[in-house]
This record gives sequence, C-alpha cells and structure tokens, in this order.
Amino acid sequence: MYKLLLSWRYLKTRFIALASIVSVTLGVATLIVVNSVMAGFVDQMKNRLHGILSDVEISTQMFSEIPHPERHVEIIKQTLGDQIQEATCVVRTPALLSFDVRGRQWTQQIMLLGIDDETFGKVTDFEPYLTNEIKRKSFSFDLEEDGYDQEKFKGDAGWKYRRTRIEIQRRIEANSREYDSLYDNAANAFYAAEPSRVETVSHESENIQEEQGGRFAPLPATLPDIPPVGKSPEEGIADQPTPLATADDQAESQTSVDGTIHRISPFDPHAKFRPEIKSEDLFDPMKDHRTGIILGLAISERKVELPSGELQDAYLIRPGDDANIMLTTIGDSPQPVIENCTVVDFYSSNMHEYDSSFAFLPLSELQQLRGMIDPMTGQGSVSTIQIKLKEGADLDAVRDQLIAQFPPNYFPDYDIRTWQDTQRPLLSAVKMELTILNILLFLIIAVAGFGILATFYMIVVEKTKDIGILKALGAPSRGVMSIFLGYGMSLGTVGTGVGIVIGLLFVKYINEIADAVAVLTGQEVFDPTIYYFSEIPTVVNPVTIFWVAVGAIAIAVLASVLPALRAAKLHPVEALRYE
Amino acid sequence: MSDVAPSQPLRIDPESKGDNMPASELNSNKGLSKKKSNSAPLRIVDTSVMSVNGLFKSYGKGAVQVPVLKGVDLEIEEGGFTAIIGQSGSGKSTLLHLLGTLDAPDSGEIYFRDQRIDNLPPRQQEYLRNREFGLIFQFYHLLPELTTLENVLIPRMVQDGFFRYLKNKRSYRKRAIELLEMVGLSHRLTHKPSQLSGGEMQRTAIARSLISDPSILLADEPTGNLDSENGAEVMETLTALRKHENLTVVMVTHDDQLASQADRVINLVNGVVAS
Repeated sequence: MYKLLLSWRYLKTRFIALASIVSVTLGVATLIVVNSVMAGFVDQMKNRLHGILSDVEISTQMFSEIPHPERHVEIIKQTLGDQIQEATCVVRTPALLSFDVRGRQWTQQIMLLGIDDETFGKVTDFEPYLTNEIKRKSFSFDLEEDGYDQEKFKGDAGWKYRRTRIEIQRRIEANSREYDSLYDNAANAFYAAEPSRVETVSHESENIQEEQGGRFAPLPATLPDIPPVGKSPEEGIADQPTPLATADDQAESQTSVDGTIHRISPFDPHAKFRPEIKSEDLFDPMKDHRTGIILGLAISERKVELPSGELQDAYLIRPGDDANIMLTTIGDSPQPVIENCTVVDFYSSNMHEYDSSFAFLPLSELQQLRGMIDPMTGQGSVSTIQIKLKEGADLDAVRDQLIAQFPPNYFPDYDIRTWQDTQRPLLSAVKMELTILNILLFLIIAVAGFGILATFYMIVVEKTKDIGILKALGAPSRGVMSIFLGYGMSLGTVGTGVGIVIGLLFVKYINEIADAVAVLTGQEVFDPTIYYFSEIPTVVNPVTIFWVAVGAIAIAVLASVLPALRAAKLHPVEALRYE
Repeated sequence: MSDVAPSQPLRIDPESKGDNMPASELNSNKGLSKKKSNSAPLRIVDTSVMSVNGLFKSYGKGAVQVPVLKGVDLEIEEGGFTAIIGQSGSGKSTLLHLLGTLDAPDSGEIYFRDQRIDNLPPRQQEYLRNREFGLIFQFYHLLPELTTLENVLIPRMVQDGFFRYLKNKRSYRKRAIELLEMVGLSHRLTHKPSQLSGGEMQRTAIARSLISDPSILLADEPTGNLDSENGAEVMETLTALRKHENLTVVMVTHDDQLASQADRVINLVNGVVAS
C-alpha cells in the first residue's frame, strides 16, 4: 500500500522526473508515427504492386516470344486446377512514343503492353485505374464522347475535344493557305506590273518552276486549287492523321456529283488507274480515330507549382490527341515499325514507376505490328502470361508447380515468378528501412532510459532519509525497491501512454499536419509528384503499438532497477543519519 | 547531533559541533528547568522486557576503528520510563539503534521478551520494528510527501498487504485520528510536514510510533531539535501517552533535566554504563 502511495506521491510532486520521460513519450510517439506511415506505405504499395503485377507470371525476354499461348494457358489451367481464377496473355515491348506538343516534337521511351481487353482486367487491377469512368465500367479501346475526369481535363478530352482541336487546326491551315494565295496574288500582280523585273527573275526561276509546278509562273489572278508545296493530295487526304486539307479543299477536290472522289492529282500519271474511294471510307479525324492507346498518366501530366503556391496540372497530350509509337518487330532481323495511335484514356495507378512508362494497346494490334502472328495458323505469340489465383492460394507453391511444369532445362527462356519475387528488391528495401528506423528509435528510448536512470538515482539520493525512515518502520528492502520500480513503471506507463496518444493523433491528422507545416515553413513536406501517393498513407497496427508500449515501459523499469537496488541496499541507520 | 559523532570521528571537533548544534537546543535546557517536574508515580515492575549483555560496537573500517560501545549490560523494565544519558559521542544513540534492531552489534546479545533479537533474520527484525517497537527520532523523520494522517498510517501500510490494508483501513484511520487527537493535532490531519512546526512534527512522529500498538517506545532525543516550549509540550504529550497507553519508554537524551523525569536513568560514559 505504502509503495503505491509513495510512488504516486513521488510521481505527483517530482515534475523533473516527468521531464525525464518526455523523451520516452517522444520516442514512443515517433515510433508509432514512423511505423504507421511505413506500414501504410508498404500496404498501399503492396496493394498497387499486386494489383498491377498479377499473382504469378510466366514471361520471356521482351524481344522473344512464347508461342501458342492458348496451349500454354490450357496446360497452366490443368496444372493448377482449382487454384487458378484467370489467365491472360500480354505482349510487352519497349517502344518510343512521340507526339506534338504545341508544334514541338516530344519523344520518350515507354513500355508498351498489348493486352487482351477481355481477360486482362480480370487478372490485374487495370480498369479501376483508368481515368475515364465509362471505361472503368466497360472497357474498350475506343475514344469516348464523355466520362473523362472533369476536374483533371476541364472538358478538354474525348471526342468533343478532338473535333474542336481538328476544327481549329483546319481553320489555321485555311488561314495560312489564304495568306499564301493572297501573297501569291500580290506577287503575281507585282510582277505583272513590272515585266522587266519578271524577266530577270523568271530566268532564274525557270528550274524552280519546273520542280514546283509553275508556282511563280505568271498566272491568272485567281489561283486554282494547287496543294501546298511538297505535299501530294493523297497524303493530305488519306494518310495524314491530322488532315492538312480543309473541308473546303476536300470539297474542291471532289469533282463529282455522285459522291465518289476522283483522286485528282496533276502530278499522278496513274491517277486514272487507281480505284475510286467512297467518301465514307475515308479516314475523317472528326469521326474516326486511330488505334486506341492508353497512356500512363504521368507520361502526359505535369504538376506545375504556380508562384502563388497552388498546383496546376498541365498535359503534354490529352485523350483525343494522336501520337506515334515506334517499335521493332521481333525475329532475327528486327525492323522498325511506326504506328499512329489515338490516346483514348490515361492509366493512373499512382505508382509513378508505372504511370510514367506504361502504355496499353490492344493485344492483336501489337501482335500484328510486331509480326508475332504466325502467317500459317494465324495464331499470335505473346511475351508474358499473367495468372490470377483464387483467394488463399499459396503463391510460392503455385510458382513451384509451374516451374515443375515448365522445367528450366527445357524452358530456360521462361521466367516464372510471383509478384513478390518481382518486387522483392523494393519490398525488402522498405522492410530493412523500417527495421533500421525501429532500432534507431528504440535507441532513442534507450537514451531516454539513461535519463530516467540518472533522474531516479538523484531521487534515491534525495530520498535516502525517507528510505531510512521506511526501513526503520519495518519496511523490507524488497518493499523499498518496489517503490522505485513502481515509480519507474508508472513514469514509463505515463510517458508511453501520452506517447501513444500523441502518436495516434499525429497519425490520424498526419496529412493536415503536413499541410500545416507546409504552410508554416513554405516547404512542402509530402510532395505527391515524388511519392507514389497523393496523400500520406497510414496503417495503425495494434500489435506494433503493444510491443512499442511494452518495450518503452520495460526500458523505464530497467532504468529504475539500479536506483531501486541502491535504495534497497541502504542501511537504515546510515540513511537516517543522512542530512 | 550526538548520534552523528560515533560513525564519523572527524566531526567530533568542537567547531563542527558548534555548527550543527542549533541555538534552540541550548536554550531548551533552560526553558525546561523552569518547568516543574512532571514525573509519573513510580510503578514497581520486576519483569524486564529487554536485556542487553556485553554489547560491543565500533564504527569505521580497517585500521581506523572507533569503538563506541565497550561492553554494555542493562535491563529495561516493563512499563518503565528509562532514560539513557551521556555526552555526545558516548554511544547512547548507537545503543538505542541496536535496541531497535536498526543496526547489528559487533558482539554481545540483545534479548526482547527472552528472545535474542540481534541476530534474527531481517524479516523478523522488520516485524519487530514494525509491531513491537515505536521509534521516535530527534529530527522527526516524517515523509515530506505525505500528510500528517498518512504519515501516522505508514507503519500500518508497511505491515499490511494492499488488500488487507484496504480491509482494515477504517479501523486504522480511526485509531490514527484518535492518536492525533491525543497529541493535539486533530486539526492538522491533511497538512504536509512542511506546514507543521517542529513540535507538531514531533508529536506526529509520536502518534506514528504508537499506531501499531508497540510494546516499547524507543525515543532518540525527541526534544533535541526543539525549543524549550515545544520540547516541553512534546515531553508532556509523551508522558501523558505513556500513562494512557501503559508504555515502556526508553529515551536517549543528553539533558539531565529531562532524564530526571524518568523512573530510571542509565548514564553512558565512553561506551560503558557508568552508574
């Protein structure tokens, strides 16, 4: 009883001792915050990685191929039996993506994935990461009229954006054409007025006239529909993704009344042998788009911090814009291939590594482009088979089963691994980081322990007389010792308890705190453009908190053992004599 | 002050003694001498509650041994008031500590109710100190963090476990309040020692020494640190309580005037009983 009473009274009257456990409090709070944030980070990352990577995959090198993927899937399904939920075939290849950014060329390397739009979404978390909400519900590689993130794109995405952009482009081109013709008219009028000059010029321009179709020849005041220099009309109408001919030009080039187009070209001697093309067969960028491609959001999105401090999104390319991809065919003599695509959506997993490099094309399209389709059977080969397992299946066991099915001595080019194998370096780095942080923070608490030891030793020295009194009144050494052990424990408990409360509150409001610190210091604490997440993820693990609390209290008790032992060993007479 | 001397021979020199001796202590003798002696009527008791045979005790280590008690024999009678007097450094406080099992003698035996107590295991010595001996010190030795009432209850708290104490708490409190009333401190129950005067503190200490209903009260210069008025009050309280509770009292003092109130005076000179 007296032990409790005295521990309590010492606790209440000795604020210096409370000060000595502030470091315990801080240590505990920091431990909880660090553990929660790291756990949240790992948790989120695992979720995302897992979602993107699928459970198990069989892959080969990106410039090689797995032939007969259907047969492989069949064998895999047989091997795994009930454990398998779905399998999908993927072609992966590095590629170059290039597009126009306000007249300047942008080219970057990407990882191109050819995906089967029916099964891919069942094997990985693909669809939830798309920005278009219609695509999230029913996936396709078509450009959508609507459903693009209003907040992100402010309406500048999809069909409407594409039509507006093309319309503007056409108008600009019409203007420049008009300017050209005005210029030419003026020039012609000028030369007509001063024939003496024309003579000298015409002599020099004779060669040019031949090459360029008599551009500077003295012509009638109204110029016929001659296309711009260096562009043949076929290119202008049929092949170019961004049509160079205006609607008016098209109308002009249609000589007919019956709705057919005669490819009129004064320079094409074979024009009359070419088949006639119906107008609805023509590629009209206002109504049609190229092969749909889905780009990682970070390829296009740039977060720009304005001088005022707010973040603004800028986009290099938007859904509805066209882009070229350049890749090579597979085989023993790879050839470069260029394909024009239309961006139909963005993929935003918030894993920067993926968002900044991934692009998705339809599987068959990519197989075709890379020459992966067997001309005899019409079957395409793939580079990866991704497998999703049923809940509770043992990943490593499945991997081993598959390795047994495709033994490395027969399939040395196959790489069979789980998503954890793939991300092992990252996951183990994070784990090691957490371990080291925990050790360091426990060292902080241990340092606090020495503070407690010193403080307690002083208190024991100060309380020597009281200890003598208690002993003189018949208190056993054990009892005296337990006063100080109890004191240490209650201090440790108070410190730890306060630390836990502070830590949990900090974790709960961590994003608000980060914002507040950012406002106060002007330094952004958590930059979403650097990290994988838009806000700091946290997971509070009760087991961790329990062990942190146990550890901290144990350190406080251990630190009070030495002073308590000293107190217990005091001789009552000596202690009483102590003044 | 005198009990400091034996263990630290260097401090016996007059200067340090002068430093440590408060003026009030010197005055107290004069003050008390004016008061008329208030001794209780003698009670003839032939049973001895404590006896001491050939007690030796020296302090210090190795070569610098300072002998304090050099063969003390004495008997303490049941219900008597024994005063041990002697000069500073004569070993009277040491003797009292040995009687109270706070210290162990070098040789010799101490008997309490015919049982040798100087070589008992610590557990039993603690029991004796807690239940059989009431100890009063010159410097009161109250616990500064506790109130008067709690200080009085401390021996009971030490004696009982947590739950047993809670069970008996009511009767203990009642007895403590009763004792504090007896020493005239019923209005000071919730005060801390720092809020009390010296006399009040000593009276609290007396109440504390009586809470466990001891059979013998060992007082080490109970008035040594008080002015004459407070000292007299404390002595009065002690005497009244002795009669009321029928106590055996052993009091160490260097004040002959106080000693004269005792039934029996033992004069300790240079570590041996003189008279």
